[in-house]
Amino acid sequence: MLDTIVQKLQAGERLSFDDGLALFRHPDVVSIGRLANEVRERLHGDRTYFNRNMRIEVTNVCVASCLFCSFAKLEEGAPGAHTMRIEEAWRELEARMDDPPGEIHIVNGLHPGLAFSYYEELLAGFKRIKPDVHMKCFTAVEIHFFATHYGMTYREVLERLRRAGLDSLPGGGAEIFHPSVRTRIAHDKATADEWLEVHRVAHSLGMSTNATMLYGHIETFEHRVDHLLRLRALQDERGGFQAFIPLAFHPDGNGMRNLPAPTAIDALRTVAVSRLMLDNVPHIKAYWVSMTPEVAQIALCFGADDIDGTIVHETIYRAAGSRSPGALTAAQIVRLIQEAGRVPVERSSLYDVLREHPRASLPEAAVNVRERKATKHLEVLS
Amino acid sequence: MNNSGERLRAAAVGYLNARPLYEGLDREPASGRLRLDCASPSEVARRVAEGEADFALMPVAAAATIGDLRIVRHCAIGARGAVRSIAIVAEQPIDTLDELAIDLSSRTSVVLARLVLRARKRQREPRLFGATAKEAIAAVSGARGALVIGDPALEIEGRFPHVLDLGLAWWELTGLPFVFAAWCGREGALSASDESLLVAAKAAGLGRRDAIADEHAARSSLSSASLRAYLHDAIRYDLGDDERKGLERFYDLAAGAGLLPRARVRFFDDDRRNGATTPSLDSLLGRAADGERLSAAEGERLVSEASLFDLGLAADAVRKRKHPHNVVTYIVDRNVNYTNVCTTSCRFCAFYRPPGHPEGYVLTREELAKKLKEVVDAGGVQILLQGGLHPDLRIEWYEDLFRWIKREFALGLHALSPEEILHIARLESLGVGKVLGRLRGAGLDSVPGGGAEILVDRVRRKIARAKCTSDEWIGVMRVAHQMGLRSSATMMYGTVDTVQDRIAHLIKIRDLQDETGGFTAFFCWDFQHEKGTHIEPGDNGTVLYLRQQATARILLDNVDHVGASWVTQGPEVGQVALRFGADDFGSVMFEENVVSSAGTTFCMNAEAMERRIRAAGFKAARRNVRYDWLTLPG
Repeated sequence: MLDTIVQKLQAGERLSFDDGLALFRHPDVVSIGRLANEVRERLHGDRTYFNRNMRIEVTNVCVASCLFCSFAKLEEGAPGAHTMRIEEAWRELEARMDDPPGEIHIVNGLHPGLAFSYYEELLAGFKRIKPDVHMKCFTAVEIHFFATHYGMTYREVLERLRRAGLDSLPGGGAEIFHPSVRTRIAHDKATADEWLEVHRVAHSLGMSTNATMLYGHIETFEHRVDHLLRLRALQDERGGFQAFIPLAFHPDGNGMRNLPAPTAIDALRTVAVSRLMLDNVPHIKAYWVSMTPEVAQIALCFGADDIDGTIVHETIYRAAGSRSPGALTAAQIVRLIQEAGRVPVERSSLYDVLREHPRASLPEAAVNVRERKATKHLEVLS
Repeated sequence: MNNSGERLRAAAVGYLNARPLYEGLDREPASGRLRLDCASPSEVARRVAEGEADFALMPVAAAATIGDLRIVRHCAIGARGAVRSIAIVAEQPIDTLDELAIDLSSRTSVVLARLVLRARKRQREPRLFGATAKEAIAAVSGARGALVIGDPALEIEGRFPHVLDLGLAWWELTGLPFVFAAWCGREGALSASDESLLVAAKAAGLGRRDAIADEHAARSSLSSASLRAYLHDAIRYDLGDDERKGLERFYDLAAGAGLLPRARVRFFDDDRRNGATTPSLDSLLGRAADGERLSAAEGERLVSEASLFDLGLAADAVRKRKHPHNVVTYIVDRNVNYTNVCTTSCRFCAFYRPPGHPEGYVLTREELAKKLKEVVDAGGVQILLQGGLHPDLRIEWYEDLFRWIKREFALGLHALSPEEILHIARLESLGVGKVLGRLRGAGLDSVPGGGAEILVDRVRRKIARAKCTSDEWIGVMRVAHQMGLRSSATMMYGTVDTVQDRIAHLIKIRDLQDETGGFTAFFCWDFQHEKGTHIEPGDNGTVLYLRQQATARILLDNVDHVGASWVTQGPEVGQVALRFGADDFGSVMFEENVVSSAGTTFCMNAEAMERRIRAAGFKAARRNVRYDWLTLPG
């Protein structure tokens, strides 16, 4: 079964729905990882990207009632509901100007009571504090909400926000596209087509975006492959996706708390299959907040070439019981990457190389692998 | 090549039959170029393995185990027919023996004996058990024979009606000479002129054989005439083409039987003529996956050069062959640390408190009873009882404790690592065997393999100065195994250790396992660097953990089980490790004080454990300390 897939990969041929299913179902995750690693090394060699970013969630008030979410509170005034005053949000950046992040990543609840100008002002204020900071803000679900709530088209929303300082869109809110899952876990927010249309419009405006998939809950492998293929089809149009980020479902404190979380084997397999199926998406991200830094390190050998960033202030996975640390320092991320035998590359939000770190302080074993690799074609790495 | 002004460090087995080869080396010109020490065969091999000797006169089995060594042409201790000093003796015909008492540490002789016995197409091999020469000779009766080596073999010539001289048996089997020992070293260790010093020393030594025999006769019960004949006629000192063929045949047969790593015979001057050649990594991986025994040098190559996937798939193949039922086991037990008071002050440990420290504790019976009852209530089957080296707890305290536990609770007692056993032995001025005997009498069921760290003394001195030496740790395990107590084996790496150290550690475990068969399982983990510890982490990380565990699965061909250390690596990585050679998921954890003081705190119940095992593609079964299944795999 794997043989035909190997042949296709060697011939540079695109994998089919059935291939994707076979990869998810194959019992030997290490062999799948090896295949994904070959593709990853063909694309990126040993380079492994990270950035200095910070996350801010300005409000957790949300009109949507997604089953998997432990973060959102339905109404302003509900216990635990919180909306930052705009100056509070800015202060998060001001407090870090001695070692400022290159990117601010803002994801929010769908707040029904804020004016659209709140968001414009929010973006503009960050740019006033640090003009070159990259604003990666608002998922497609939020953009869709803004459009319907404030009576604008996607294009109008995106253009106004861009004028205020928006640089790119994060990939959140994709969850699982297939309607038989989406209607059960996220019935009252942007549909799959709406999510994809927001990204289509963003790409047409020349804006880069990311894409995600929330896996490991009630969806089947068929739903995952379907999800990947919908993304691949949109990517064929304009190539605006920079990175794909598989997100593991975490069950604490949400409407699916009776489900077990997906295991590390599933995380590695999903990274690997994503790398193999999404032949037109440049980067696959091992989001360490979702999979723990330890498993993320392994994922760098299973198809991922990006490990996200320093994060600093993640609250969404925290609320769902993730035991990953809230932040990693750049030095910790560099070591995490080096321990995998890779070359850490600090990048901008648009994947410009800011600094390539040395292989120094690598484990002895990885150094030796390195030296040997120099002479061998398509050797896979530890 | 070592051309520096420094003298080469040489070692030789100090036996009678080796003297003609090495005696001349303590005189000029050789003494200006090298410094020679005599030691036991295992010590000689250790020095070469751990880089403390540049070359050595060592048994050929040890050379194969280290791997990738070069041999000096023209010098060997061998035989072409009867050797006299290595023989199986018995009261009844050799082919009818059921048991053989044997000095199991003499690897070359043990392997030779096994090959010869196998070739005789017996129904089954006799069971081998370890003994000193004296014990072995005394044990001979009926269907029990003995393999006797060295002086004792010469002393008992003519005493037993049935004798199988292994040199002669080899000659009859192969028509080739046998080589017992030769000068060996790493590639490039000796120059051509160094080799000529050894050859010249041999020429001088052969001329002194009568004198050597006479000196030895004066110090033993053997006659000069017998010893002269032995050194002149039985032992051959040549290593030419015939001897090379004999050695190659020995290595082939031993590797085929899984008794030694596959070794090539390479002379130092082969390299000088042809340049060094290295077999491909792929062939090495293939042999690893096939379950062949690999040498230390091959292990180093695997862990340094093979990709994570190659290592993982080879380890998985080994796991599958050893455990074809696709079952991963786990145990419901509890780690109880009876005291944190400890006198050793290991630099990597955040758990201990020195005697007199206000945070020091010794658990009371009430505290213990509460913990043990919780284990029983949770369906637990044993406790893992370990603690610091408390200066005031006497052996009676342990005996009372063990008896009380056994009386009050239906739990297995997996207790006291070698360090604690040695501590009690020192405190009580008792032998290790005596201490273990008394503790077993009080209820000890098995011995945990903790405290092994890295079984290379250079490393141990740096991270745990006050702890036992490698030999002491291995010695306790040897005694425990010989008494029938099973144990686990562990490795903690990631401080000042190198690839070579970690492989040397695995080989020491494998060697002892060849002798005793007492290890049930192997676990490894990296140094957990956190507050309260005083050394910097060395080679570390999750990927390295997977590589180390996979390499251990490949090298430890004689250890049944390899466990994933999820307690140190986290449940997530622990699960991934199941695809890298592990067939056991360790313990459902109630608490684990030592590791958690260094910052690692994970928890997993049986349900979560089984879910992860199944999600990794296996069936789950509970086990006891002997790895018997206690539940139906599912």
